[in-house]
Amino acid sequence: MAQELATDEQGRLLIDVRGPRFGAAITTVVLALALIIQGPVGVGLVVWQWFVFAVATFAGLRWSIYGNIFRWLKRRFDMGAPPATELEGPPRFAQLCGFAVTTIALILMLSGASAAGWITVGVVLVLSVLLAFTGVCVGCELYVLGQRLRSAKS
Amino acid sequence: MDPIVLRALVVGVVVVAVVVAGKRWQSRDGKITLAASSPQPSRHDHRAVPRPSGPRIEARHLDAVGLDLREADAGALLIGSPTCAPCDTVKQVLGDIQQGRSGFRWVYADAADHLELAAEHRIMRVPTVLVVARDGRIVARTSGVPRTDELNAVLDGEFQAAA
Repeated sequence: MAQELATDEQGRLLIDVRGPRFGAAITTVVLALALIIQGPVGVGLVVWQWFVFAVATFAGLRWSIYGNIFRWLKRRFDMGAPPATELEGPPRFAQLCGFAVTTIALILMLSGASAAGWITVGVVLVLSVLLAFTGVCVGCELYVLGQRLRSAKS
Repeated sequence: MDPIVLRALVVGVVVVAVVVAGKRWQSRDGKITLAASSPQPSRHDHRAVPRPSGPRIEARHLDAVGLDLREADAGALLIGSPTCAPCDTVKQVLGDIQQGRSGFRWVYADAADHLELAAEHRIMRVPTVLVVARDGRIVARTSGVPRTDELNAVLDGEFQAAA
């Protein structure tokens, strides 16, 4: 799994920019299926996605499940050198956001608020669709607003 | 209708709507807005209030972000955040521009550390670039990743004015 991966001069992991978008595409399919099927199978798919987010967030993108599928495909089909690389920080933060919202969704479902839980899954779906198809940086849109709210509180 | 078909339809419509909205949002990304050439601020114009002298960055803000333009012809201030991937791309763009222009300075500032400046200039998202003339006048601004050649064209105008 964790073969020699590129790092910058400070030893921080560099990843292929196509990786997160590939991962978001799988996330989109998994969550779309979950929303359509629902029931125990649907919940199972959400739990799986929650686990995927957790691994990428806490173990790092080196261990990201979808990221490693991408690396394998890249070698298998010889997809060439990355068009660009990026530090793992921002996409790892995005995985953390996915993890946080999916956790809320699962808590809602387990506590009986099933409809609210599925709407929350829908939010994660929207974010992953945005990333997979457009590469729009949602964290960037909300950062200034978030910092303002934070400073207003303190 | 079978609920599963209904849900599939809803999910499909949501996905298509998000893709369309995202593409439209993206097409605006990185567009450069000239401060002088926008007497009628449009909807996309960050609703900048036109002032007689045009918008400018106060000297104390320039000091705070560490942009020293005394020896320069023009500069740029990049407002970003630690978790913003496009910000790194903008840093590369500004670095490339600096290589070709000895009189150009740029700095990066975290929006969280300069909220007053962000509020004053209605900076709502990162990365935002303010192109600043030597006297602190804001020549142009852009949100998202600007194109190197477009930014260079703006600077060409400013460098001519400074010369």
